[in-house]
Amino acid sequence: MEIIIEELSHGHKLLGRHKFATSNITIGRGYDNDIIISDPHVCPDHLQLHFNGEHWLLNDQGSINGSYLEDSKENILQHQVKSGDIITIGKSQVRFVFPSHPVDESIAISPFESLINLARHPVALALSMSLFALIAGWIINLNNANEVTLTQMLVPTIGLTLGFALWPAGIALVSHLTKHDARFWTQMGISFFFFNLMWLSDIFENIVHFNTSSNSSMLWVIAIIPLLLAFCLFWLNCYVGFHMTLLRRNVVSMCLIVLLFGGSFVVQMSKQPDFNPRPQFDTTIMSPVFLFTPSSSVDRFVSDSSKLFEEASKAAQEDSKE
Amino acid sequence: MKVIFALLLMCGSTLSFAVEQAEEIFKQLAPSLYQIRLIDKASGEKSSIGSGFQISSDGLIATNYHVISGYARHPHKYNIEYLDNKGNKAALSLKSVDVINDLAIVQRAVTTEMAFFKIAEQAPTKGEELYSLGNPHDLGMIVVPGTYNGLKNESFNDRIHFTGSVNSGMSGGPVVNKNTEVVGINVATSGNQIGFLVPHDKLLALYLAYQNSPPESIEQQMAAQLMRNQDKLITTILNSEWQLKQLGRGLIPTIDVPFVRCWGESNSDKVDAQIMAAVANCDLDENTYISSDFFTGSLEMEYRYMESDKIGSTKFYHIFERQLNQVAPGNQAGKDDVTEYQCHHDIVKPEGSNIKNKSVFCTRAYKDFPKLYDVLYIGISVDHEQYALLSHFTISGVAQETSLAFLTKFMESVTWK
Repeated sequence: MEIIIEELSHGHKLLGRHKFATSNITIGRGYDNDIIISDPHVCPDHLQLHFNGEHWLLNDQGSINGSYLEDSKENILQHQVKSGDIITIGKSQVRFVFPSHPVDESIAISPFESLINLARHPVALALSMSLFALIAGWIINLNNANEVTLTQMLVPTIGLTLGFALWPAGIALVSHLTKHDARFWTQMGISFFFFNLMWLSDIFENIVHFNTSSNSSMLWVIAIIPLLLAFCLFWLNCYVGFHMTLLRRNVVSMCLIVLLFGGSFVVQMSKQPDFNPRPQFDTTIMSPVFLFTPSSSVDRFVSDSSKLFEEASKAAQEDSKE
Repeated sequence: MKVIFALLLMCGSTLSFAVEQAEEIFKQLAPSLYQIRLIDKASGEKSSIGSGFQISSDGLIATNYHVISGYARHPHKYNIEYLDNKGNKAALSLKSVDVINDLAIVQRAVTTEMAFFKIAEQAPTKGEELYSLGNPHDLGMIVVPGTYNGLKNESFNDRIHFTGSVNSGMSGGPVVNKNTEVVGINVATSGNQIGFLVPHDKLLALYLAYQNSPPESIEQQMAAQLMRNQDKLITTILNSEWQLKQLGRGLIPTIDVPFVRCWGESNSDKVDAQIMAAVANCDLDENTYISSDFFTGSLEMEYRYMESDKIGSTKFYHIFERQLNQVAPGNQAGKDDVTEYQCHHDIVKPEGSNIKNKSVFCTRAYKDFPKLYDVLYIGISVDHEQYALLSHFTISGVAQETSLAFLTKFMESVTWK
């Protein structure tokens, strides 16, 4: 009867797979074995496998570190192999599977998968990267009070684009190092698509701030958009780059969000002075084309402002109590 | 040659006459002159000095509020002490202050009736010779002759313009006429030979009010004075004529009173500038000293017009927005004096007006003086693609009603031409 033997790494990663039709198989570090494992904790003659016509029997050959089934502490002697058994030898593992071992149902390539693959399409990739560079250049121009020539803008724009490309490149590198498929271009496509969405959400946020007075209390909803976008980006980065369960993917993305936004929040808080003599208010002003809200009257503004005095007096009383 | 010599001789004789007279005055008045010192209790050393003079036989001494402001604000931190012309030192107690006119009355213990300065009944005439007394830079009592030049025109609260050197340390010292009557109190200097004095009637009023009913607490007295002064100031301003002046395509209000002065600047000489900018600002030429890091009673208005046909509308407003980050209060105040600012913003179009502003109003409350606030307003027009007008004011030490009345009038006055 045929048997399939899989070599597994310490972290359960598949290193090699062998199919045997003989009835005697030896496993060990020595070169005379059928399966040679170069783990210093494995003996030259470590395990022997024998088919007795009905069952496969497994025997430890008196190795120094022993051979164990899964988590059991007992050394293996005359163990009757069942399909799917994992035996630990030294710091390595081997798995025994019979040809009749059931396999998972095949998964159809989902529309989602093909959607993700669309991101690596050269046209889509070129489009989103050039859109990113365009917006970056525009913002660099906006922030420069003086006249800016195209050549002056080129270097910082390319620099910014390359800087942002470091993120997908980094993820691709990590997935390559952890023996996953790197999928560099897919990561690039997805990341730049989301970077563009973040620019847009930024502009949208500005327009909303410009059009709302400090009376509106729903502005925190707007502040959530970048968080959601970042979550989606990290989630897809994980989806493309690593094989992990849905739960794990959610947790990893969540942790990244907390690390990134929580971290910058803490940094901001630590920079906050004890007392700020300058007024803090929403400074957003934009071109009149972005103004959609109806304007208030002076009376309305004055009566809204008059509420501030009460708040300020209350703050003064609280402070003097301390 | 002879003529010149004669002239020189004449000058010399008048000069020596003036010196003789000053010496005489000084000799006569020296026993009633004091150096006032604030002694820091923890270190036991003097932390500030000024001058003072006795105004009654029972030991009342007049000085500047700013000389003893440390004690008025933190009575536990300091002692007030005097040093007389014989070198005697003893403690003083604070009796009454006038924070608006920078005056204070302190009292020393006396055993017998003492000589004192008489307060004049009439203001001096223009050009009259006056003698300022005090102890500049802790160098010892001196007398400085000078002339009376009337009241300072640009001042809301009267100040005498005195041509003569008033140096720091002479603050609180008396200025007397030839009859040794007090006509003013040294208060400030504006450089070479320009000094400012508080007129004698302010001191007389404070002295009489103290005789009638001494204040219960200095802090309450100060709060009431600040409240009265802001009411008087803002009411005067609101009842004065507001002239509309053109700035770019905008019309901006300026107030036609001598104590609010306006200045202007623009970059119209820079041909290659991306944005044409013109700035006008008007402010009150004085403020009220409360402590070395807390001033109030200031008023400032600023207008900024910007126009550009060289850059896009989005960039134009983006550059404008960055100027809003530089908004700062008009007066100096710290954590112990005021709260942080609370702000409100909205898009506002005054009724019947042709301007649409993003308007921001902020206020902070005074911790020791209830119902007094600093307020600040900024309006930026957001109704034209290539030009915009910023209108801004700050007032410190105002009440709610007066500041809101000012706000309403200000917002309704700024328009497009």
